[in-house]
Amino acid sequence: MKANLTCEACERELTAYADGMLHAAVARVLDQHVEECARCRATLEFHRAIARRVATLPGIGVPAGLEERVLRAVTAPDRARARWARFGAGALALSFAGTIGGLVFWPRIAKQWGLPDPASALARALDSGVEGMIAIPKWIAIDVTFYEPIARQIWLSMEALAAIPRAVIVSLRSPEAQATGLVLLTLGVALYLLLRPSRRQEGGIGHACLAL
Amino acid sequence: MATDERDLIRRCLAKDERAYRELVRAYQAPVVNLAWRITGSADDAAEVAQETFIRVLRSLASYDPERPFRSWIFKIASNLSLDAIRRRKRRPVSFEDLSGEDGPTIEPADPGPGPAEGMRLEWAAERFEALVIELPEHYRAILHLRYREEMPYDEIAETMGIPLGTVKVRLHRAHEILRRRLNARGPTT
Repeated sequence: MKANLTCEACERELTAYADGMLHAAVARVLDQHVEECARCRATLEFHRAIARRVATLPGIGVPAGLEERVLRAVTAPDRARARWARFGAGALALSFAGTIGGLVFWPRIAKQWGLPDPASALARALDSGVEGMIAIPKWIAIDVTFYEPIARQIWLSMEALAAIPRAVIVSLRSPEAQATGLVLLTLGVALYLLLRPSRRQEGGIGHACLAL
Repeated sequence: MATDERDLIRRCLAKDERAYRELVRAYQAPVVNLAWRITGSADDAAEVAQETFIRVLRSLASYDPERPFRSWIFKIASNLSLDAIRRRKRRPVSFEDLSGEDGPTIEPADPGPGPAEGMRLEWAAERFEALVIELPEHYRAILHLRYREEMPYDEIAETMGIPLGTVKVRLHRAHEILRRRLNARGPTT
């Protein structure tokens, strides 16, 4: 079996072999080679010794306060969020209490200081709000009543125009009309080719026609 | 994943501070040591460990419970350690040893230990450690994960974000470099 595996090939696999990370079939081949080859056996011992020594290399201790620093960093944003949430809730409660207090005490204060009656001011504000809301649909309705007849006329004329190509197609069904159409098309193409203006024919009939 | 660990992660996701502490305590020593092994500096290791745990706890929701938790946490730690090295722009040795990773070859000039050398493996601890420190950081990380953390190759591959074959090659290269240097300097001091 040793003859089937060179020492070089064996050495390439020795680390994985020492680690027990080779496929069983490959490991069996190496088992036999190592048993018969003193040099590879010694190299294997070397690899095993290296593994043992790395495993027992000294480590370092955990730095003091690591846990606390990590926790502070991780929980700080949550704490800040909670603080802001508390502050927000307090502000909301205060503004709610202020609104209620204002609604209750404002008429009395207004009367005392000669300010307009809050109830009528509120009614006026509501009125203008409702008016503002109604103004938009009203404006849309006016626009619709103005443009709707025009749109209808355009629609009808488009329908009328749609009949023209249909009539042309129907009329082209007869052989005479087709022949006439073909002649007219040929004439048209010939005229275009004859009269088209180009740089090479500057001063020709095409340019003369265009100039006219 | 163990049930305890799953429960711990669930409690951390529920923002239980006690669970945060438990998780940090469970992994602080291996994370600090991995970072130290890669960066070679205790200060950097402390910084890397702190940042690792902050990231782990903040992004725990993105952790896939189908994968080993240890690999995930070590992956963050090793990436941060490599970043720390890049920031420092300090490398203990050149990267010439990394060349030829795709095809691990053993220099023909190096015959390896002979049969008589088999047991001459008693190296001075400091000297051996110095040789390990001289290795490029990728090799130091892989040796640490394999022999200190006893990770199988596939877990190392996941942790370091490299193919399984590369794990095998790098580990073998690390062994070979150590073996060559140990042979070159003699067995004991």
